[in-house]
Amino acid sequence: MFSFDPYSPAVDADPFPYYKRLRDDYPCFWSPEAQMWVLSRYADIVSAGQDWQTYSSASGNLMTELPNRAGATLGTTDPPRHDRLRGLIQSAFMKRNLESLGEPIRAIAKDAAEELRGGRSFDFKDFSSKFTVRVLMAALGLPSGNEAIVDEQTVREKAVLMVQSDPHTRAKGPEHLAAYNWMQDYASKVIAMRRAEPRNDLISNFAQAEIDGDRLDEREVLLTTTTLIMAGVESLGGFMMMFALNLADHAEARQAVVRNPAQLADAIEESLRFNTSAQRFRRRLMKDVTLHGQTMKAGDFVCLAYGSGNRDERQYPNPDLYDIARKPRGHLGFGGGVHACLGTAIARLSVKIAFEEFHKVFPDYRRVAEQLAWMPSSTFRSPLVLELAVG
Amino acid sequence: MPRITYVEATGAETTIELAEGWSLMQGATANGVEGILGECGGSCACATCHCYVDEARLGDLPAASENELAMLENAAAERQPNSRLACQIKATSALDGLVVHLPETQE
Repeated sequence: MFSFDPYSPAVDADPFPYYKRLRDDYPCFWSPEAQMWVLSRYADIVSAGQDWQTYSSASGNLMTELPNRAGATLGTTDPPRHDRLRGLIQSAFMKRNLESLGEPIRAIAKDAAEELRGGRSFDFKDFSSKFTVRVLMAALGLPSGNEAIVDEQTVREKAVLMVQSDPHTRAKGPEHLAAYNWMQDYASKVIAMRRAEPRNDLISNFAQAEIDGDRLDEREVLLTTTTLIMAGVESLGGFMMMFALNLADHAEARQAVVRNPAQLADAIEESLRFNTSAQRFRRRLMKDVTLHGQTMKAGDFVCLAYGSGNRDERQYPNPDLYDIARKPRGHLGFGGGVHACLGTAIARLSVKIAFEEFHKVFPDYRRVAEQLAWMPSSTFRSPLVLELAVG
Repeated sequence: MPRITYVEATGAETTIELAEGWSLMQGATANGVEGILGECGGSCACATCHCYVDEARLGDLPAASENELAMLENAAAERQPNSRLACQIKATSALDGLVVHLPETQE
């Protein structure tokens, strides 16, 4: 009897054989463990992502939702409220508005790579976590340097912890909720600082923004800020771990991008397709939907398995092959539709610069451990540790 | 399923039968139409799916939202009265046979 339990450590480690069974034999599958339907084919996920009226995000979008978040963030509201909230934030994340961040990001990458120079082996996380937190602090205007109110690596640890879930209880554990509370507390201190002395940064602007003359709800300001920090730090860091893993495992691809860093952009897109860290998100049905002979009822939750859609042979020939020449347009590595990732441009820019600089110090590396320790998460997927050997 | 024809700046034409509800951007990127990028994934946040809609059919489309009109300011190619973002146009039977022309550049 086939089962698909997104809380299972086996799925954390390698969801792809399960996804293939889902796509081929159970394209509209009820998972009793997750208590939701699972859509796994590319076309079905795209259709659902387009149809926000039917596939609502207002009851939460994380597979295992954090308390009180639904309805208060970009990812957990539907249009038109979603569009107004997003309108306040997205210009800061548009490609042309990120140009001034290019040099600071490069300096951060250089520093983080230089700190590791001379090492024969190291955990890639030592690079990616330093890089990620510092980039996010620069991009969001979080207090850093003399102004810092917390240790930067604590921000990362809490962000990574709050997206995890307990494989036994299939819920958030006390440590995950404590991390979430810590992050809210941190966000609220930053918001208070920026309100007291506003600067020209994202959080200052957002904390004082209005929609139709009304100030934003305090819960929206707090939880959207909390989510931006979480998503920025965890998703960027998680994807960098996956990208490093792909390049460590595929020597030809790594050699190609070291030789010609312009090819990094293509390699990033292929990694977003091949094993994006954003594997699964959740929606809730606003009406009955019949698909592949199954009727899903209004009120039911539905998992959109982006990581599976990206491996759908109905869309991508030979999908289990990692091929940086593929140019997999239309991939679901950032989701899709109105809720597609807000940070696509900064993610692409940051990862490209990070690996340009990392490869200047470490052009050759390979994976040390055959078995990796994977993060326990029903939503995201990345290794907790990625030991690399140099040369 | 509505048929949509994309005409690239080179003159190359591709006609695709789109599932109802798919955006014209997703139809293009999922089917190898090169002249549409859709970098932001369809959230109306990048203006790299700029297209020119057949003027005679403009009335068949729902009007552009404020967000779309604002984002069109960022389009790389010349904005014209029939400029739209393909991610904001959903395929419906009313659009069957629609022709959209794509600009020379999206970035």
